[in-house]
Amino acid sequence: MRFLFIVSSLLCLVVSSAQDPNYTTLLLDKSLTSNANAVVRLDELSIDIQSQEQMVIKRTKVVTVLNAKGDKHALMYVGYDNARKVRNIEAVVYDQMGNELEKIKEKKFKDVSAVDGSTLYSDSRVKYYPYTPVSYPYTIEIRSEVQTRNTGELVSYWSFLEDFMVSTERNRLIIKVASPDMKPAIKEKNFEGYSVEKKESLTSIAYEAVNLQSITKESLCPGIQKMAPAILIRPVKFTYGGFKAEIHDWNDLGRWMYTNLLQGRDELSPATVQMAKSLVSGVEDDLEKAKIIYKYVQENTRYISVQVGIGGIQPINAIEVDRLKYGDCKGLSNYTKALLNAVSVEAFYTHVEAGSEKVDFEEDFPDLAQGNHVILAIPYQGKYYWIDCTSQSHPFGFVGDFTDGRKVLVIKPDGGEVVRTVTYDNAENYQNTTAIYQITANGGIIGEVTRKTKGIQYDNRFGLEDQTKEVITNYYKRSWENVNNLVIDDFQFENNRTTIEFGEKLKISAVNYASKANDRLLFSPNAFNRITDVPKRYRSRKLPFEIQRGFLDEDEFQIKIPEGFTVEAIPESIRLENKFGTYNFTVEKQDDQLVLRRTFAMKQGEFSKSDYAEYRDFMKKVVKYDASKIVLKSDV
Amino acid sequence: MKSSLKFPFYIVLLLLLQYASAQSPEFGKVTKEELAEKEYPLDKEANAAILYSSRDTHYQSANGTSRLVSEYHKRIKIYSKEGFEYATAYINLFKSRSDDETVQKLKAYTYNLENGEIVRTELEKDQIFKSEISYNYKQTRFTMPNVKEGSVIEFRYQVYSPFIWNIDEFRFQTDIPIKRLEAELRTPEGFNFKQNHKGYLFVAPKVETKRDNRIDMNVVMRSFALDDVPALKAEPFVDNIDNYRSGAQFELVSIDIPGSYFRSYAQSWGDVAKSIGSTDDYKNQLDKTRSFDDELDVLLAGKTDQLAIAKILFKHVKNTITWNGIDGKYFQNGIKKTLKEKKGNSGDINLLLVAMLRYAGIDANPVVISTKDNAFPFFPTLERLNYVIAYAKIDDKDYFMDGTAEFSDLNLLPINDYNWKGLLIDNGKLVWRRIDLTSPAKAKNMYMVDVTLKEDGSAEGTYRSRLTNHGAYGFRLKFKDSNLEDFLVNRESEFDDIEISDYVTKNAETYEGPLSESFNYVFDNAAEVTGDKIYFQPLMFLREKENPFKPETREYPVDFGYSFQNKYVFNISVPKDYRVESIPEPVKMNIPNNLGSFRYIVQKNDNEIQLSVIFEINKAMISAANYPYLKEYFNLVITKEKEQIVLTKNSSESTNSTAGGR
Repeated sequence: MRFLFIVSSLLCLVVSSAQDPNYTTLLLDKSLTSNANAVVRLDELSIDIQSQEQMVIKRTKVVTVLNAKGDKHALMYVGYDNARKVRNIEAVVYDQMGNELEKIKEKKFKDVSAVDGSTLYSDSRVKYYPYTPVSYPYTIEIRSEVQTRNTGELVSYWSFLEDFMVSTERNRLIIKVASPDMKPAIKEKNFEGYSVEKKESLTSIAYEAVNLQSITKESLCPGIQKMAPAILIRPVKFTYGGFKAEIHDWNDLGRWMYTNLLQGRDELSPATVQMAKSLVSGVEDDLEKAKIIYKYVQENTRYISVQVGIGGIQPINAIEVDRLKYGDCKGLSNYTKALLNAVSVEAFYTHVEAGSEKVDFEEDFPDLAQGNHVILAIPYQGKYYWIDCTSQSHPFGFVGDFTDGRKVLVIKPDGGEVVRTVTYDNAENYQNTTAIYQITANGGIIGEVTRKTKGIQYDNRFGLEDQTKEVITNYYKRSWENVNNLVIDDFQFENNRTTIEFGEKLKISAVNYASKANDRLLFSPNAFNRITDVPKRYRSRKLPFEIQRGFLDEDEFQIKIPEGFTVEAIPESIRLENKFGTYNFTVEKQDDQLVLRRTFAMKQGEFSKSDYAEYRDFMKKVVKYDASKIVLKSDV
Repeated sequence: MKSSLKFPFYIVLLLLLQYASAQSPEFGKVTKEELAEKEYPLDKEANAAILYSSRDTHYQSANGTSRLVSEYHKRIKIYSKEGFEYATAYINLFKSRSDDETVQKLKAYTYNLENGEIVRTELEKDQIFKSEISYNYKQTRFTMPNVKEGSVIEFRYQVYSPFIWNIDEFRFQTDIPIKRLEAELRTPEGFNFKQNHKGYLFVAPKVETKRDNRIDMNVVMRSFALDDVPALKAEPFVDNIDNYRSGAQFELVSIDIPGSYFRSYAQSWGDVAKSIGSTDDYKNQLDKTRSFDDELDVLLAGKTDQLAIAKILFKHVKNTITWNGIDGKYFQNGIKKTLKEKKGNSGDINLLLVAMLRYAGIDANPVVISTKDNAFPFFPTLERLNYVIAYAKIDDKDYFMDGTAEFSDLNLLPINDYNWKGLLIDNGKLVWRRIDLTSPAKAKNMYMVDVTLKEDGSAEGTYRSRLTNHGAYGFRLKFKDSNLEDFLVNRESEFDDIEISDYVTKNAETYEGPLSESFNYVFDNAAEVTGDKIYFQPLMFLREKENPFKPETREYPVDFGYSFQNKYVFNISVPKDYRVESIPEPVKMNIPNNLGSFRYIVQKNDNEIQLSVIFEINKAMISAANYPYLKEYFNLVITKEKEQIVLTKNSSESTNSTAGGR
């Protein structure tokens, strides 16, 4: 599954204010330079909405880069396309004394297609200048000005702290409109604890913040967008791709999107409609029909990103995808919807912010810029089934961690609706591992492992089915690094796409699994589901943390010991329980063998920074018990 | 037929293949058998295979201009979804300021079997995209329509090139298998091209002379044909996989038209060196000193020792000029502009260094190289050399310098520079020859760890290390610019989640001399305590845990980058009431051919244990033939380092007998 569209967020830009620049780095306040790779000296964005079809965006950005990791905050570029023209871009570089080193005029900027590695082609373009820093720190000043007919392409997210490890000396946003009814809507985010000054008149809005210290990233912490003070901006009355809009709620936005950008793009040739009908002939149930169509799409198309046309939000025609049998998320979703409609199954085109981090649409802030991917919602007996048409392998109705459990925009002919996608709760992300293995007299291990996964754990595992033997073997060698010299003697998979369960059956062996100590053998009974990483330690944790998805693992390993050895010691049993989850670990002697039983459950949740030490302590114990050893002693 | 031949730094087993004649498949004639095939018979794991690949390169002339034309035809079978990436093609086209290569007559189809019938889908013109990818390259890209598992795709096109003497390498091997490959090169008689072979599959072309009516000349025709070429994929520790994939490169060595014209082009490395030496950059610019003489006079006032002067100048160039990341053997900016803008490409920086060294009276010259990422120059060539470093001879000793890299030093170059040989350009002494650049000096790293083991299985103590040469170089790169907190968080996870305090480095921010590191640590899970026994692996968190060499065999050498010796000394004091019950046996082993060695000795002494381990790899580059030894060596080292020491608790009567601590 892959990404899909870019609503112009790459095109931040802008203005100039005539100030006497003093960009000496030496005088910077320590509170701004400590724990920072770059200091934003000034970032001033001025948006001038001159009419519903005309907008000028100016930006002046002055950044002092303190080390090489800060270079990415001082990139000199501006994006443009058919509707957006670059009126000016220029840059000046200063050394740490504030002396001018280099002046870069617009004609020195390179003009290239804005294509990233996963896109075959895009008609968006970018002007950029590849600057090589001579020494650190240095300061750059970039001024740009663009003009666009797409007043819907406002800068939709404006942060007063642009990233982790970046501080802000001064940040200013000025929006001017031709008349009060053109004023965009604003939503303030994470202002608590920051002082951001706001000024507003009938035809303008301005924000300014000064001296904001950087935030240092910590493991499991929320994304920067959940913490940095920022404002969301959305146009109420605007033009996009030549279409006028007035948006007050998600319903309006959905209707506008459907009417102008989707309607009529789902036509198919009569032959294809006939083909679709014959695929489902004899099937009455809509959900069964949908499954057949989805299977057809998965077997006959693939994902290729080609971005041309309206700002990357309009799908190419279904008829075109039908011919090429490839498309991006928009094209493939629209095509699948068309096929579903051809067999009288209802399906809705849906915008979503995809990624393993769950990001919700803002329920009270209907904005075209939210979301980066498209999936389909299929209503059936009062609930939605979700499908991702860019995946050739996911079972029907299963979207995995790419689009699960988040608020999305379902676009219907009569309007839009914000809905949460399917959530996979703690114990639904289930894994059961059983093993029967023998420890040999010279310390080897040989045995069989059986594993079943569901939910998000299924998502992490079922892709193995399509891999080559080499990839599969390496996968197990990596996941069971604790078993050195691992040999996978045989493997079998069973992917049940109806119950959404993945089964693995393996025969494994390894030499020297147990380590020797004179006449003893020591080994960890937990050979096949061992946690080895303790969460990173922070001398003083500053940020909250979150566990985005919970899970439940259950393990039972039967261990046969070699002849001529007796058990000298087994690990003590342990049960841990706290707000993060539970952990049980017991080793028992049963007849002539040992049995390890282990359960480990983690709960989804958000936690304060003061909980981190306890969480780390919990995980540290899990790591310790997972590593604990059985000692065998030779009888001779 | 097998024969072997000694190559510069590794032994290649050449599989000599005969020209294999067979019927070439015609464009468009895809068969049902090909479409029905479920897996590639000779490599069942392959996601895709090239069923047929042909290339025909020749000259054409029209209206007085000549073009080098290459006609390509490829038929590719897609077996699985993972093979879909081979349904997208990228054609790189070289361009200069005034001229460029173009693609013409592109035709492409996808074939599928539907209800037992062959269905073909054509690639439409509007699905062919053109992009600029760099200053010197553009790219034509397309992806085939209607591709699914089992599809066969086929395309052909012609590349017209105005750069008529630069014949792109013929590639005979890729990361997917090739069933049938044919290639042909026709060059006008009198234009002598030398063929240079690379990779372990050797293909001898059939050579004949024929009349080519299109250009009205006799042509020399070389034809290649191969069947069943296996895939060659990159594994860890390889300098550049392209060095080992089979192929043939052609270089124009002379034009000889009897009775009317003769001109020789670079033939030997000496010739290549001479032609580089005769460029303005090398001939005239290196002795122009006006733009820096005043500055150097101040810097070097009173200094007479040549080595000291070389060090000062090297440091001066590194401190004042920044590398812009661009390779080059010639000036990009020239001396004057480089000094003014304080940055330049590798040519600007290292040629400036040569000029400065010369000004200071040192015998200094450029050495031109091909870096590892630029692949290996298999034959005397000017184009394939991409980089220059500085070289000085002082008191009869050789010093190599690369001023582009922050942590490089005299005779301590970036690993990327060590690619077998360099080409010395000494115009003054009229010496133009190859010189060895094979191996950086051994990195000698020493780790000293004191461990106080506790009754609960935890340990604490101190860690001190001293790293030299590339050991230090690598550490410095990692340490550079990282915020100390982050650096330690990562260091703690690398070291089995110990907790680090009082962390100190010495010499981490400079490039000169050895680097040292020290800290105190607490290691919670140092030992296993069960009943009255304690078990632990004495190498603690410095144990080698995983064998980096997983496949059973390997077809190309292992490149460690540099040779090294890691020496570990552990002093472990055991808890008071415990005595040492058993310790691992000492071990000494060597990799055959003196490629490496391992020494492991544990000694006990009351309640103290001393461990000394030396782990050594003596060659930066280890041949494929020695790969099985290397793999087994790592296995044995890992197994040995896993062995445990056993402590037993003294019965209560004997508690007072141990002498205190360490």
